[in-house]
Amino acid sequence: MQRQGLGWFEERLGWSGFREKFLDKAFPMHPSFFLGEIALFSFVILVITGIYLLFSYEPSAQIITVGGRSFPAAYHSVTQIDKQPFGLIVRQVHHWAAHLMIAVVILHLLRVFFTGAFKKPREINWVIGILLLLITVMAGFTGYLLPYDAFSVTASGIGYQIAASIPWIGVALAKFVFAGQFPAIGTIPRFFGYHVVIIPLLLIGLIGLHLLVMIKQKHTEPSSSRGRVAPGRLLGIPLWPQQTSLMVMLFLLMTGGLLLIASIFPVHPIELYGPPGPQTPTVKPDWYFLWVFGLLKLIPGWLEIHLGGTVLDPEVIGGILLPSLLILLIFLVPFLNRTRERQNYLEPVTKHPLRTSIGTGVLMLLLTLSAAAYQEVLDISLAIFRLAAVLLPLLVGIATYLAIRLFRGWRSKTIKRAREPLSSDR
Amino acid sequence: MAEEHERPEHTHQAGMRRRTLLRWVVGVGAFSSLAALASVLGTVKPPQTAQRGEKIKAGDVLVFALGQNKGAPLTPTSIVPQQAVLAFPQGKAVQDNLIILINLRRSQFIPPTHLNWLPDGYVAYSAICTHLGCTVGFSHEPMPGVPYPHIHCPCHQGMYNPLAGAEVVAGPPPRPLPQLPLVLNAKGELVADGPFDGPVGPLPGGR
Ligand code: HEM
Ligand code: FES
Repeated sequence: MQRQGLGWFEERLGWSGFREKFLDKAFPMHPSFFLGEIALFSFVILVITGIYLLFSYEPSAQIITVGGRSFPAAYHSVTQIDKQPFGLIVRQVHHWAAHLMIAVVILHLLRVFFTGAFKKPREINWVIGILLLLITVMAGFTGYLLPYDAFSVTASGIGYQIAASIPWIGVALAKFVFAGQFPAIGTIPRFFGYHVVIIPLLLIGLIGLHLLVMIKQKHTEPSSSRGRVAPGRLLGIPLWPQQTSLMVMLFLLMTGGLLLIASIFPVHPIELYGPPGPQTPTVKPDWYFLWVFGLLKLIPGWLEIHLGGTVLDPEVIGGILLPSLLILLIFLVPFLNRTRERQNYLEPVTKHPLRTSIGTGVLMLLLTLSAAAYQEVLDISLAIFRLAAVLLPLLVGIATYLAIRLFRGWRSKTIKRAREPLSSDR
Repeated sequence: MAEEHERPEHTHQAGMRRRTLLRWVVGVGAFSSLAALASVLGTVKPPQTAQRGEKIKAGDVLVFALGQNKGAPLTPTSIVPQQAVLAFPQGKAVQDNLIILINLRRSQFIPPTHLNWLPDGYVAYSAICTHLGCTVGFSHEPMPGVPYPHIHCPCHQGMYNPLAGAEVVAGPPPRPLPQLPLVLNAKGELVADGPFDGPVGPLPGGR
């Protein structure tokens, strides 16, 4: 009976070809390979919760009066969402999932970087991946403004001023992006468009491309798989049913975990922050912007670059120039590599001491700058932080390098003593 | 034979002309579409917002910007000594006009403060930080390790000295806060005696 049913579909859809081609695809196993999937599932959860929020959110900064008190319409609609059954928890899950997605995309990037998975032929996916990270961050930035409370308006206002500080085009650009001098009445409708239409479409398109390229190029494998299957074949579990059941479990686990976190740790309580007013609350940007924020603090106010009849003030240097430089370097990573062979296995982090130490050094720099954002809380002087921002990354980088050298020396000695021929995966 | 020679040449020429015509058609078409698109892009320009840009003028009465007295005119008895409030010029409550009004002792002020703009020891500065435009606040009491009194900005810990023309004493702000000429009117209310003595808030890029 059942066979007949499937046969009916088989006749019409040529189902077995699809099955062979996709459902049997091998998925190499390594815990870190789940990072990309967690990013993907965070996005799915963001889309689902976002659609729920769409039903009740009002994209307008017009002032409305409710019960004798006036609020921006957007702010008021979000306080109403918080009062709906499940409204608050959905909004909290949306916010937490955004944090999770950005964090996991960064971890995914680090895993690709430290294992050399960006090497030929995967340069294209590296570039797409960085674009995904940047656009995901933009999704966070545009979404942050939407509740239009005192915090989000302050934070976006600073973003506006940084953009406006770019010479020549800054003001025009900022006015275009924010639909007028912030806070303008047109800002919310425009940001709403970015956040719920343009950015998600871009993400969907790029994630699709990212996955297509990965399927075409095949996934990298842990080096333990080396020599265990014929060349050009992957060692892994098939998509159906093993990998699928893992993915379903992961998705359910994430949904449950996010619900739990969202119900225990409230995030962005807009009723507490209140609607925007003349006063500025003490704001810190979201954690993934902290390093730029810290950098802005550390750059001395007198630092200016005079260039071609214009002035680059500290805000452009710290808020635009240096971050863009870092992003550009990250884009270039796979193209700095000159190996010609195709990279099919994960590299151990000890294989390229220089790459690994540059990676840890840059991480240390970003951490130090982020800590500098809390300079006044930590009660450490700016001068010390300036010194630390230079020294700590260097120290960590050098220490990593030496540690790897030491480890390699120690390992080759033990291997020699064991009188075993060097295994081919070294 | 001659005929056969000419024919291909003829068609060739006609082809050229057709191609030229096509080029023109495509060119003009593309140009006019782009020109039409430009007008569409024009609409992407921000809608002009109404109240912005109403500058402070001489005679503007200062009123409380927040709190339960919001909108009520300020007089020298409104603020206790060594305290500050945020104020707007009456009827012009836009962020760029936000003023921090501080009650200090007259004799303590030094230049570059405009010493003739200090009725009863009141000083008025723009409350918009010249760094990235947050609203500044006033240190209500002395604290160890920081100058007193000071105007501070919560965003990046900029600090200004209210007794010395709001000069920058710490942090990233590039310029002092502009000062507002202040007088008392016949009713004893604090009023502006002209616009700020400099541009408000951050300057656009490139200056
Ligand atoms: C929105 C964000 C992203 C999503 C949803 C996503 C999704 C995925 C998934 C599901 C995989 C396969 C599993 C894995 O290797 O972890 C993958 C692979 C990959 N991703 Fe991403 N990714 C994102 C961002 C990034 C970023 C920021 C980078 C790099 C900087 C990147 C670079 C790569 C590369 C090179 C591969 C192939 C890895 C290999 O074959 O070893 N991706 N991505
Ligand atoms: S906005 Fe005031 S210090 Fe940055």
